[in-house]
Parts: sequence; structure tokens; C-alpha cells
Amino acid sequence: MEPFVFTLPPGKNLKKLRRLLDGDTLYNLVVKKGELVDCSILDTFDNEIRLSKRILLRTGQDLLLINLADGRIVEQQPGSTWSFLSELEDGPVAGSLKGVSRIRAFMVVSRLKIRRDMGLILDDEGKTRARLHTVSFFRKKRSLQLGITQSLRGYERAHTDLKSWLMKMGADPRRDVGEMYSRLGIKSKNYFAKPDIFLTSEDPIKESATTIIRTYINVARKNETGVIADYDTEFLHDYRVSFRKVRSILSLFKGVYGAEQTAQLKQEFADLMKQTNRLRDLDVYLLGRDDYFQMVPESSHGGLGILFDAISTERVAEHKKVCKMIKRKSYRRQIDEWVDLYAGGNLTSGPNAMKSSNQYIAGLILNRYRKVCRIARGIDETTADQVVHELRIHCKKLRYLMEFSLPLFSKKKVKVLIRALKILQDNLGRFNDYSVQQVSLGVFMSGQSMSGKKSLKVAESIGALTAMLYQLQYRERNLVMENFAHFDSEKIHASFIDLFRLE
Amino acid sequence: MKIVACYSNKGGVGKTATSVNLAYACAMSGKQTLLCDMDPQGASGFYFRVKPSRKLKKQAFFKDVDCFTGAIRASDYDNLDLLPANMSYRDFDIFLSRMKNRRSRLKKALKAVGNEYDVIILDCPPNISLLSENVFRVADKIVVPVIPTTLSERTLEQLYDFFNDKKYQKKKLLPFISMMQKRKNLHKETRLRLQKKYKNFLDNSIPFSTDIEKMGVNRAPVLAYARSSPAAKAYEKLWNAIQDKVKI
Repeated sequence: MEPFVFTLPPGKNLKKLRRLLDGDTLYNLVVKKGELVDCSILDTFDNEIRLSKRILLRTGQDLLLINLADGRIVEQQPGSTWSFLSELEDGPVAGSLKGVSRIRAFMVVSRLKIRRDMGLILDDEGKTRARLHTVSFFRKKRSLQLGITQSLRGYERAHTDLKSWLMKMGADPRRDVGEMYSRLGIKSKNYFAKPDIFLTSEDPIKESATTIIRTYINVARKNETGVIADYDTEFLHDYRVSFRKVRSILSLFKGVYGAEQTAQLKQEFADLMKQTNRLRDLDVYLLGRDDYFQMVPESSHGGLGILFDAISTERVAEHKKVCKMIKRKSYRRQIDEWVDLYAGGNLTSGPNAMKSSNQYIAGLILNRYRKVCRIARGIDETTADQVVHELRIHCKKLRYLMEFSLPLFSKKKVKVLIRALKILQDNLGRFNDYSVQQVSLGVFMSGQSMSGKKSLKVAESIGALTAMLYQLQYRERNLVMENFAHFDSEKIHASFIDLFRLE
Repeated sequence: MKIVACYSNKGGVGKTATSVNLAYACAMSGKQTLLCDMDPQGASGFYFRVKPSRKLKKQAFFKDVDCFTGAIRASDYDNLDLLPANMSYRDFDIFLSRMKNRRSRLKKALKAVGNEYDVIILDCPPNISLLSENVFRVADKIVVPVIPTTLSERTLEQLYDFFNDKKYQKKKLLPFISMMQKRKNLHKETRLRLQKKYKNFLDNSIPFSTDIEKMGVNRAPVLAYARSSPAAKAYEKLWNAIQDKVKI
């Protein structure tokens, strides 16, 4: 039987339930009262826990995960200090959090006090027939009582009775964590790396492009604090992706803004991005640390260790540089200028500025789709790697265009096409990563000033790694034709035409 | 799913106390456990405060899966459920003898709930009957409490003889000493003798203890209310030994 998850209105508590039970001779309520303890609510920056209707609490040394959707409560001791799911020791909480990002840091949403009580509905023999878990939250002068019933096998009737008593008491069955937060006065910021953008098909493309750019500049800004605090690498990643989207609008939406202003803005955004390139590269290396170690024989682990120590050291310096950049007055001024510009400032118009948004984007998508197909169909075993790289870039552009088109076309249908493209894109992405990593490992080595012995060890491990990366790149290269064949199906082709051929 | 039966053809040897504590130890180790109280006296159910089932008639136990599963009750402890006894169990033998293919009936009934449980523990009545024979066939291991007396030794011998006659697998039997008083030399000697005689005789023994006697007052397993007592520890060790043998 499903647990009944509820919140109690202010002033109602289990004493009231006991009074209700007094009229029933079969049941008796025993409450095992818990202690009032300090506690923190934890979540990722993008609120993965709250959005999945769960609350993650840290009380002293314990972690408690309450799922409002299914009424499950699990707890565990985290073991050592942890910020990331990947650092959390195996246990019921870690198990239940499977699927949550492993590279997002968990941060404190709010500090408060809680008390956990356990109510037992006993029969005349003292046997438990139903359980009632309550968690009382206290924050400043506000409080809230969350309850979850537990039905016991063979005693479903007692659970049904318990539920009806609770309803009589005014139990509210809503299961919204956001609502609970607001009742406790907790302000949780909403953050979406890909926020919903509202566009109208007939609006001029200049207006739509401006809305998209304004939205993504705003997403990038929301990540600045996290980049500086260095909670996790996703802040910088989202920051860069947002600006990359802005740049892609400027370069893909030709003739929407005045040519001179577009060129200038493109340069400004490119200059900004350039300053974070190295930090992101180093992050990617460090995130893949375990994979790199698995790729090479154990004899190369020593050299790889030295290499990663050097990467970590460089990352510290590089992060400092990026922080400095974000804190600079000139940066703030630049951002403010962009914000003003895209909030209705003096944006010049190009010849396509007044074209309707859906017509314009649909045209770009179809052109790019045809280009992707033309290049991909020409790829075989003998094609130069450079052509595969080109295909990757066109696929990326197509993906951005399709994502921009989501507010204007059938979201469901476009998402099906994006998913189909993603398989090919992931393949091409890995092909590119392996290729870039081989080159940059060599460059990295030549930039290091290590002693002879150390340098030899590192060179050996880089050699082993490069050989493995080459093999992996080769494997991905062979998969491109196969993956494109899936993407190049009649059905997908018909969907593109059906969705985007508007004239 | 593994089936562990707790059986003795002699009464008063601590069979129900063993079933209850083994089931509790098994559940505490994280395994979904079902304790089937097959003794019409319903002592297992009494220890868990579960009232005898009115629903579960003998026909239902073997025929109606829904009725069988519907009679299962949650205990007050995590991972541990109980199939309470019913007075009509006393007529099992007559009932079984009338049924076709009677020996596989118990297996079929238990299979119905097998997917839900990692371990099913059967608390059996103290006699050799068709029901016991069903148990001997389906159980992966049969735990046999033996009190260190000549009479109890004799009944163990009878059980082995019965297994020989019927060609049941003797390696299923896991006898151990129950109600052991370490100060008594006779008890120690008996254990040594039995261990020499029977290959699978367990090293573990359960002490004679007032903590176990108090189960009737507390209506709970010793492990739940006197966790650090020698008796509780002995049950825990016994379960670990059985677990190794059953390979759970």
C-alpha cells in the first residue's frame, strides 16, 4: 500500500491524532520522540534533488533522504567528507541518488533544526499495525511538520484507518518541496542551464535572437559566483556553453544585426571565451583522471601521477587568472554593456532582421541539415580526418539551431530529431576529444620544466596514453559511418522536411 | 530463495526459539525473510505478537496462492515477515494424504512467494509426518536442535535412520546443541561424541539461558531485547554458520 505523504497545518500535531484514536478501542498510538538537531538541506546548484521531489538533509554525521513522491526515507553515514556524489560511500542514500550528476557539488540550501518522531499504531497485543514517520522542521520562527505513513503487510486496514484520521486532522497531501521551502521561508534560486525561452513564430528574427542572447548572457552570469568559488567544474562549463550559444547566434544568424556591430560583438565574445579555454581543458583532463589511469598499464601510473600533479598545479594558477578576469572592473563593465544592449539597447539591423522567426530558423536548419548529409555521405575509410572534424562542427551548429528552434516548433518532434543527431554528435565528439588530447598532451609535455628522471617517466606514460588515445580515436572514426547511416534514415529525413519546410 | 527448516522430532528442544532468532538474525543481515509458523500451536506468531490467521485454511495454503500470500503479516522488524499458524494445520497429514502429487504441494506453495524473499524459514511441528516429509524434500538445510540428553540423542539417531530409509539427503541436516550448560561435563562430552558421529554436526551451541526464557514475557527475539547477551550472540553465530552452509 502506497505511503501517505502529507504536511500538517500549523498547530496540529500527533497529540491531536492520539485524541482521535482514543475513541477506537483497537488501536493505541505510541510516539517515540526524537531529539531536536541542527541540520542542513543539501542540493546541487541546479536543484536536482528538489526538482525530483526529494529533500536531502545532513544532521551531524548522518544523511537523510526523503522522497516525497514515493514516501521512501533512507539514511546513511557519509563516511568521509564529501561534496560530490562520486565521493559518497556506498549506502542507501548514495544508491537512491543514482542518476543525479556525479560532477555537481552538493551545497547547503538552508540551515535549520529538525526533529524526527516515530509513531506506532499498536493493537491490543502490542503489535505494530502501521507506522507514522514525522519530520518537524524549525527555521527562525517558522515550522512545518512533514509526515509519511508506512503500511505493514497484512495490516492494510490499519493503514487506511490511519490515513483517514490524518485527513480528518487536516493533513495536506501535496508533495511539493518548493511549497515546503516557501512555508519555511527558504529562498531557493531556480537555475536551468537550458531555460525555457518563449518566442513567437511571427516575431521578427532580430527580436527572437535578442531574446535568446539575453537569456544566455543571464545564464552565464548566474554561474560567475560558482566559477569563482570553484564549487564544481559545471559552473565554468555552463558559463562557457552559454556564451558559446551567444556566439553561435551571432555567427549563424547572418544578416540579422548590422554587419559591423556583429563583427565587433563576435570579437568581444571570442576574446572573453579565450580566457577560459585553458581552464576548461585542464578540468576535462582532471575529470577524466580515472579513465586515463585505466587506459595505461600499471607501469605507466607513476608517470601519469606526476603528469596529473602538474595539471592540478597549473589548474590552480589558471583558475586564479579566470577569477581575476571575472572580478575585473572592465569585465563587469563589458557584461553590463551587453546586458543593456540586449535589453533593448542600440542594436543595429541587418537585411534579414524583420524576417519571421520560424521561417528564418527553419531555413537555416534545412540548409545545415543538407550540408551535414552531403559531407557525411561522402565519408568512407579513406576520407581525411579533417573532413570528419568538419562534419562535427556542422553537426554542432545544426544542434544549436535545433535547440534554438524548440520554442517555435513542435518540441516533441524536434527533440526526437535532436536525440537522433546526438548519437552521431557524441561519436564525433569523442573522435575529436581523443584527437585533441593526443596533440595537447604533446604540447603539455614540451611546456614542462621537469628533471630528467621525472621527465622520462612522464614521457613514457604520455607515450602509452597517446597510443591508447589513437586506438580509441580510430575506433570512433570507424563508427561515424555506421552512426550517420542511422541518422540518414528516410524517417528522419521526412521529419526534417515535415517540420522545417514551411514555404 | 533459500529454504531453511528448523525441525526436531522431539518437543521442548528450543525449536521455536531457534526459528524466531534465526529469522531475526537473517532479516537483520539485510535479507528479506519469511518465517512460516507451521506448528499449529503458533508459538512463533506469539513471540512476534501476530495473531493466528483466520483466513488461512489448509486448502488455501496449498491451493490458493492469493490467500496464502494474503495471510502473510509484517513483523515489527525490518525485512521480516511471518506466515502465522492456523489450528487447522493439525489436520495437514490427512489433508495431504488425500491430495494427488502431495509431496510437491509445499514446494509449489512456497514458490509462489519465493521471489519476494531471500530466505524462508520453516518452524516445523515435532513429528514425522507427511508435512515433515514435504519439508525434508524442499528445504535446502534442516537445522536440528539437540539437547544433550540420551533421549534427544536417540531421536536424532531415529531421524538419521529415517533419512536413510527414505533416501533423503542427509547432508541437509545441520544438528547443533541446544540448551547447553558449559559447566556440565556431560554436555561437553555429548557434543564431542555427536560431532564425531555426525559429519555435519555444528560447532555452535545455544546456551541454556534465562534470557531465552524471557522471550515469552517480552514477546520478541532475544536478539531484539538482549542483543549483547551470550544467548543472542550464540544465535547470531549460529545464523552465520548456517548462512555459510546454505550459501546465501
